[in-house]
Amino acid sequence: MLTVFNIQRYSIHDGNGVRTNIFFKGCPLRCSWCNNPESLDPAPSIMFDERICHKFGECRRIGNGGIILENDKLVINRDLILDTTVYNNICPSKALIVSGQEKTVLQILQEIEKDIPFYNMSGGGVTLTGGEPLSQGAELIDLIIQLKKRGIHVSAETSLHLPWETIENYVNLIDLFLVDLKHLDNDKFTEYTGGNATLVMENFKKLDETGRKFIVRVPVIPGFNFSSAELFAIIDFAAGLKHVSEINFIPFHALAKEKYLMLGKDYTFGNHRCIEKSELKPFTEYAERKGLISKILN
Amino acid sequence: MISDIKTTEITERIAKLKSNVLSARSTICTERAGFYTEIYQEFERSPVILKRAYALEKTLKKMTIFISEGELIVGNQSSKLRAAPIFPEYVTSWIINELDEFEKRPGDAFYITGEQKQELKEICSWWKGKTLIERGYSLMSPLNREIHDSGIIRAEGNLTSGDAHIAVNFEKILDIGLGGYLQSIELIQNKLTDSDARFFEKQDFYNALIIGIKAFQTFIRRFETLSFELSQCETDLRRKSELVKISEICNSISENPPSGFYEALQLTWFVQLILQIESNGHSVSLGRMDQYLYRFYKNDIIPGKINEDFALELLENTWLKLLSVNKIRSWSHTRYSAGGPLYQNVTIGGQTIDGKDAVNELSFLILDSVGRMKLTQPNLSIRFHKNISDEFLTECVNVIGKGFGMPAFNNDEIVIPSLIDLGIKKDDAYNYSAIGCIEIAVPGKWGYRCTGMSFLNFMRVFLAAMNNGLDEMSGKTFHIGTGNFEDFNRFSDLMLAWKDQVGFYTRATVEIDTAADLALEELVPDILCSAFVDDCISRGKTIKEGGSVYDFISGLQVGIANLGNSLAAIKKLVFEEATISKETLTENLKNNFEGKDGEKIRQLLLNYAPKYGNDDDYVDKLLYEAYMYYIDELTKYHTTRFGRGPFGCRYYAGTSSISSNVPSGSVVPATPDGRKAFTPLAEGSSPTSGTDTLGPTAVFKSVSKLPTNKILGGVLLNQKLAPSALTNETQKQKLISIIRTFFETLKGWHVQYNIVSRDTLLAAKKNPENYRDLVVRVAGYSAFFTTLSPDTQDDIIARTEQSL
Repeated sequence: MLTVFNIQRYSIHDGNGVRTNIFFKGCPLRCSWCNNPESLDPAPSIMFDERICHKFGECRRIGNGGIILENDKLVINRDLILDTTVYNNICPSKALIVSGQEKTVLQILQEIEKDIPFYNMSGGGVTLTGGEPLSQGAELIDLIIQLKKRGIHVSAETSLHLPWETIENYVNLIDLFLVDLKHLDNDKFTEYTGGNATLVMENFKKLDETGRKFIVRVPVIPGFNFSSAELFAIIDFAAGLKHVSEINFIPFHALAKEKYLMLGKDYTFGNHRCIEKSELKPFTEYAERKGLISKILN
Repeated sequence: MISDIKTTEITERIAKLKSNVLSARSTICTERAGFYTEIYQEFERSPVILKRAYALEKTLKKMTIFISEGELIVGNQSSKLRAAPIFPEYVTSWIINELDEFEKRPGDAFYITGEQKQELKEICSWWKGKTLIERGYSLMSPLNREIHDSGIIRAEGNLTSGDAHIAVNFEKILDIGLGGYLQSIELIQNKLTDSDARFFEKQDFYNALIIGIKAFQTFIRRFETLSFELSQCETDLRRKSELVKISEICNSISENPPSGFYEALQLTWFVQLILQIESNGHSVSLGRMDQYLYRFYKNDIIPGKINEDFALELLENTWLKLLSVNKIRSWSHTRYSAGGPLYQNVTIGGQTIDGKDAVNELSFLILDSVGRMKLTQPNLSIRFHKNISDEFLTECVNVIGKGFGMPAFNNDEIVIPSLIDLGIKKDDAYNYSAIGCIEIAVPGKWGYRCTGMSFLNFMRVFLAAMNNGLDEMSGKTFHIGTGNFEDFNRFSDLMLAWKDQVGFYTRATVEIDTAADLALEELVPDILCSAFVDDCISRGKTIKEGGSVYDFISGLQVGIANLGNSLAAIKKLVFEEATISKETLTENLKNNFEGKDGEKIRQLLLNYAPKYGNDDDYVDKLLYEAYMYYIDELTKYHTTRFGRGPFGCRYYAGTSSISSNVPSGSVVPATPDGRKAFTPLAEGSSPTSGTDTLGPTAVFKSVSKLPTNKILGGVLLNQKLAPSALTNETQKQKLISIIRTFFETLKGWHVQYNIVSRDTLLAAKKNPENYRDLVVRVAGYSAFFTTLSPDTQDDIIARTEQSL
């Protein structure tokens, strides 16, 4: 089984043509600005939107104290909930949902196949994303093989924060890698993501050596890497690789704020300002000068 | 081939004319009502066709005409700009009843003077007992009258207005001119002998046509005189020469076929105008303008007689003329056509008779001019086909991006084969055009109302099916059912109950339509409209008597998505999963989910059953099956023209129900799809607002699973589009690619786009439940707008305003 928290059709900002994005759960990193906080835990997560809660009480009826009413407000004691899946499809208004459903390869395929006419016409396909899709294991490889059999183009959005041996399995299966390059400085990388920048940079070089073309995606985050020195260094690194087909800048936005609230998590980046596209112009120009095709994504 | 259009701003002249039309208050004009009444009084014993010829003649000779400062295209509908004429021969009751309310309407208000009120009261009192609506009601059986009054079937528009929903043979009018038409009528009339069984009717008909066309010519020549007189006292030399030119054009086209683009466009407008002076139906359409005007355009542009800028100005002036036409409807009918639209359709693109791409420079120019004007008229439709160029589609998408809901697309790849299947000749099928909003017909050869007959409220019928035939709103059982929902043991029992009820009401719609059609034929035959539709002249018949080459009509079915969603909710939650008992559902529908656990039941119905618009076969197939029961029944019936000349004389389905989903919903109790009582039904063939959560590709898939080849009255699909979806070329190309897939691969029928506005987002923030389909699409991330935090929502709302 693969744990998927969203299958989003008509995705038009992640690669060529019209795509279906498969969002997988689980991630080796803990980036403090993360857009998809529901992706981090590999197990299904409870999300609760108080605004549409009618207090029907179906969730409280599970009765392990996991969800209680206090001062007429729903309180979720996440520590007491060992198995989140018991809350699946329990809330009539879907104010409380379990994000992340276990799905078989076949179930995922059936959803993907529905938009084949649109992929064909637009030159689109599937984008595996998450979370970290490449940490999903053997069943993901099955899925990709099935997609290849059907002639569907497969992209994967990855942090490359994985052992090279894992990544290697995918090199000949994925048509296009969209690889995050967040920071080059090890300490800062660790501070903000909990990960190891050296591992990522080494994997970049190994991926480059395979000769496969890939796209470098730079999340531009205020207070993390949004400075000339840091971004120029990132661009220089990318420009030093041979097989980068494009570099994409993704300006920070705080759209995920409410999702943190729904997950009962703090969001330190919740009040950070959004970056305007125009502020990234010097960097796209710099990247172009370095010979990279450069884009700012929505 | 493509002209490089450099002008992006409208000229000062057009800007001024535009502001005149937009700032003109809607008022009432009583001239036409007065002339018609005088003639009907004077010629009380004459055949109706002659009465109407004399009345038209008097109106065209005597009505106030004017030429506004700066206009290049002339011809006005009534005594003042945007003054709506009154058509007392159709109906007077609502005029009298609502006379003092015209100004107070919450939308679409009309201003009227005390003197006019008095005049109308006098006029209307004479018409009592003589109007179309009275005759129409008298032709309905008492049962059908009760059904009509209950609101399950509505045919009010058919009896308070003229028919219209038609495009006349502009091609032929431009080819032979009004003089040519007169000659051909006289030629046929001269051959008429009294051995003909319909000798007298035909004589009257031809005489009426001759009176009508001659009056039309007189009307045009009045503009010749007026513009000449104005030119005499004009001091501005440029304007003086313009007025002289207008005078010359009017002189020429009053008799001869036009010789150039300007003349052709002026004559086209005069015809369009005159049809709307004679009769008051809406959706009088212009057909394939880029085709029939092209030869004139090409002949003028190549030798440099006109340039593109001037052609644009003429087109834009014409669009302002379309907008100047006004119509007052009863308040109840107004709610079905909010915003007072006249649905004057212009169709461009499509294919030539030999299957080649018909897009030409004029198609681009029309598209561009409509995009620059951003008006509600004309209603611009693009005929899509698989060989249409990306270049043209990109221009279409650019205009869509301006956010005024145009152009809409119709699809040749489904419409043409469906027409040929009906038996329409290939040449004619390839020449179809959109009529009104989205419905289609062969211009110049098709009778009235390819759609726009009566409205059938599917959900009232569905609730009756659950209730052993009882219609709770009226408290009447018009057709005894197959049992109560509580007694149904299987889901198939419900489907059978629906089949039985919808069969009954389908027949009732046809019977009601028949009453309306017979009354229209008898009391308000159109003269000029019949003159310009083939083969009325050679058959010696009005369109309503069977004069047209083709005759296919459709009513409108309202609540398509609600029907599918209700069936799916019941099948899944009641019969398969037993989450909700039959008794609980019935009780909650009766008390509008307001009892204990009512809201919970409603949320289950909303959130735990498949919804149409999400590419889910479970619900899409149920909807198909249920809709087919209606269609199968419908195809058994004929129109009143059957056996009287036209080919066809049959019905097909239609969902081009304009804004009727709101008033139709206002008379429907709670429904099993979780919809609360008296709230709007789903619009056209679109998914219920807020329930299509998987995006546009899923909507396209669902819609294309409907029996679209049998819904030639229109498969209306409105799609919302975020402004961000059109920010760059890549996004535009992606939109084009999904439109292509919808039409080429999935054989979709129609789509039009509304750009999501600031108001929509504000509403979504306030009522998230109704807007769960608004997706915020950002790289690597996705969320529904309604799940964003309030401050983020505000931020997006603010940005939306900027980008619009």
